[in-house]
Amino acid sequence: MVAALRTAYRRWLARRMPGARQQRLNQRRIFILPTGYGLFFLAIAAALFLGGINYENNLIMALAFLMASLFMIAILHTFRNLSGLVLRAGQQSPGFAGGEGALEIVLHAGDRHAHTGLWLHYPGVPAEEVSVAPGEEKSLWLTVRLRRRGFNAPGRLRVESRYPLGLLRAWSVLDMAHSCLGWPRPVPSDVCPAGGGEERSGEHRARQRGSEDFQGLRGYQPGDSPRQVDWKAYAGGRGLFTKDFSDPQEGWLWLEWERMSGLDTETRLSRLAWWVLALEQRQQRYGLRLPEGELAPGSGADQQRQALDRLGRHGEPEQGG
Amino acid sequence: MRVYQVPHHTFWLLTLGTFLAALPHLLMGPLWLRVLIPALVVARVLVQRGRLRMPGRLLRVLLLGAIVVGTVYTHGTIAGPEAGACLLVAAFALKLLEMFRLRDAYVLLVLGYFVLATTFLFYQGPLAAFYVLLVMMLLTAALIGINKPETHARPTAHVRLASVMLLQSLPVMLLLFVLVPRVGPLWALEIRQEGARTGMSDSMAPGEVSNLTQSAELAFRVEFEGEVPPPAERYWRGLTYSWFDGRRWSQAAPRHVPRDELVRFAQGSANTWYPGLSVAREQVPGPVYRYRVVQEPSRRPWLYALAVPFAEQRDIGLARDFRLLRDSDLEQRYAYTVTSYPLLKPAMSLPDWERDFNLALPEAGNERSRALAESWFAEVDGEPRHYADRILRWFRQEAFYYTLEPPLLRGDTVDGFLFESRRGFCEHYASAFAYLMRAAGVPARIVAGYQGGELNPVGNHLRVHQYHAHAWVEIWLEAEGWVEFDPTGAVAPERIEQGMEPFRDGGGGALQNLFGGRGGAHPLLARWRNSLDYIQFSWQKWVLGYNETAQLAFLERWLGEVSPWRLARVMLIGMVILLLPVALWVLLRQRGPARSPLQREYRAMGRQLRRAGLASPEHLPPRELARWAGEHWPALAGEFNRWAAFYEQAAYAGEDEQESRQQLRRLRRRLRWRLRG
Repeated sequence: MVAALRTAYRRWLARRMPGARQQRLNQRRIFILPTGYGLFFLAIAAALFLGGINYENNLIMALAFLMASLFMIAILHTFRNLSGLVLRAGQQSPGFAGGEGALEIVLHAGDRHAHTGLWLHYPGVPAEEVSVAPGEEKSLWLTVRLRRRGFNAPGRLRVESRYPLGLLRAWSVLDMAHSCLGWPRPVPSDVCPAGGGEERSGEHRARQRGSEDFQGLRGYQPGDSPRQVDWKAYAGGRGLFTKDFSDPQEGWLWLEWERMSGLDTETRLSRLAWWVLALEQRQQRYGLRLPEGELAPGSGADQQRQALDRLGRHGEPEQGG
Repeated sequence: MRVYQVPHHTFWLLTLGTFLAALPHLLMGPLWLRVLIPALVVARVLVQRGRLRMPGRLLRVLLLGAIVVGTVYTHGTIAGPEAGACLLVAAFALKLLEMFRLRDAYVLLVLGYFVLATTFLFYQGPLAAFYVLLVMMLLTAALIGINKPETHARPTAHVRLASVMLLQSLPVMLLLFVLVPRVGPLWALEIRQEGARTGMSDSMAPGEVSNLTQSAELAFRVEFEGEVPPPAERYWRGLTYSWFDGRRWSQAAPRHVPRDELVRFAQGSANTWYPGLSVAREQVPGPVYRYRVVQEPSRRPWLYALAVPFAEQRDIGLARDFRLLRDSDLEQRYAYTVTSYPLLKPAMSLPDWERDFNLALPEAGNERSRALAESWFAEVDGEPRHYADRILRWFRQEAFYYTLEPPLLRGDTVDGFLFESRRGFCEHYASAFAYLMRAAGVPARIVAGYQGGELNPVGNHLRVHQYHAHAWVEIWLEAEGWVEFDPTGAVAPERIEQGMEPFRDGGGGALQNLFGGRGGAHPLLARWRNSLDYIQFSWQKWVLGYNETAQLAFLERWLGEVSPWRLARVMLIGMVILLLPVALWVLLRQRGPARSPLQREYRAMGRQLRRAGLASPEHLPPRELARWAGEHWPALAGEFNRWAAFYEQAAYAGEDEQESRQQLRRLRRRLRWRLRG
């Protein structure tokens, strides 16, 4: 029953407020209801009204009426605080599935008045607060829950405001028609899915120093990356050492989809993601071969991001993000 | 526990608003309240400044306990309006030290409105209303402040918005005030003011000390519709004294007469005289006075009106001795409309029980007066009117004096007055006159009330003060009914013609003198005083006195027939009419300022793209717009970029704007043509 109602409500919302990357808040999109404090305020006004009747005190009654009128006027002001605000879907910042990503919302105020004390959030995440001055444009990154690998629709964006009196809550639930990419959740595996890569990198490396990436430990020098410090040794009280890897400029590995036959898609992607991170940590150069194409070898934050994006997008319909 | 930090820009608004909301109660509250509330406010300020820790739970509970004990100590109870208000105010101020969450700030502020309203239980003047409005604005500003997240907001901005919102609310408030039906109290509640009020009492004893006539306090104001009766006819009847025990005249009636026979209320059962009287008033000739009285709280049920008064209010009854009284004491100011028929008195009959009662005298005492009465009554052949004239002539011709400070009388007070002291004021003369009448066998009674009243030329209304209090006599004449005689007028006719002013000996106090209380003041001051009085009277009449009856009369005048359905419709329409301009003002003010030609050009481009099927590309910078449109129509990307480049040149380069604008328009028109194609 509840589920049916919820579905009906969603369908009604979708009809009333179809998704769009840019939306302007107007009477079609804004809902308004009293808050708990608003009900308390009205209860006080009602109590004063009764008191005014009982004590035959016109002034107390007048004050009760003034409170009621103030409440009505507050409806207009609360509504206005949202009305005219333009929201635009901005960029996305992906994250691992099961974790959090972020979506950018750009808020643009009308020319004449400010939108004060706006709270924005996607379902299941704490709200962020922002105020926009007249004519101003502000961007806000909102956390979203990434439930799955691939493009996650974040649900309807809730924009809410209680300004000015806090007695009423005006809100809107908008489908901003954007989504956030979830990278595969990294799953460790012993076997590097870089079959053949070994030999090739070997060819490269043979000309250099040998077959091992890992060259050994040397004494820590200021400026060495903490990622390369041998913390295990340090914890064991053997002093601070830095792991020395072979020069990553010279060799690369191809992480290949095809090397993991017998596994399902998500497991493959998860393992690949883990290896992307692992290789990146070792400052190893790597490329990626997926059924839909390949990513040229490289390393660094950019390479990792591109590799993870490709893994995340695998098999997803093409979308903006 | 983490303490909620009221935003810095709002802290002072909140503290000031809270303090001012409680202030009226401080002025009249017990001493401990006057100490406690400023102390709590100071403590809160110190907490805010980090000089003091927020008190712990134990301390707060102890304080609350102390407040309850203090209230019980002062008022003997925690129920009732005074004790309740005292408790509420103290607990409200204590809430200042219990601000741990945003919720507490809300509760404090919304309760603040309630505390503020209780001010009206004790003060109801126009200034009090203004004060409350001001504090309400501060509380509303504080409410805005706690909803404003910016740290650098200015309190003046909150104050401005709060004022605007309250001003916008006022018209709707007025509409509700006028139209929402007044009903009687739902359950009986009484609010007692401290101290006794000056005014009439239900008995009088000439010869004992009287302080009534010295008081300059206002008794009531009267506004006439149409003609104002001349000073000599302004006899405001309040009550009659029919029982004399030798010293004291008091209000009484024979025990066997049912109450409905004495006083007729609309909801009472039928009596013998009222139907006849109300028929007679339709035909009575002569003047009819219609007026509205606003009476100060007297803590008595007696109302004051000219003979023979009729009032429409259901809580007012008409007594058979031609006076009005309310079904409960006047604990607050009370307004009522009266129609008086001075010539209707003969329509009332005198049943035997009433004749007997108004002839009754003690068996013995005042022997000289009795003897005088018998001999004079025989002299005029038992003709009551001649007999009365004879007595008045005696008062006039012999050495009788009018004074507000008569000697005390012992023993037979009537004899003592008539034959020894011969100094007195209205009570003495009325008492002696009535005694002489009864002694001769003419039914007589004393009427107590007020006589006269000062006309305020500004509002054309009368002010009747306590020093206008008066007593006179009514005797029964066959064929004429009850006829008024004012023996005081025989001695001091100017008392009746000119009012009390010449006789008063500076009793009004310094303020009264300052404002020209004794007639000889500067005319400008007098006018100012009259205007002030008019404002107060209008306030009482229209705001405080707008009760069930006044509302009905007002609505019938403006709406014709008054039915709930019609009232609801008027209220709805009125609400729409009043709220619509405010709504338009609030909502449409968001429209941007007049657009520059360049902005118009930009919007035209937006429209053009929308028409071509690209959704709502508003509020994009021109380059973004061009890029977006270019993605949509790759073939035209170059054109779009050129348009954007020209736009930026026109907007930001500043020079030769005219030409780039024309160029811009040309580009746009070309694009339109190609978009269609």
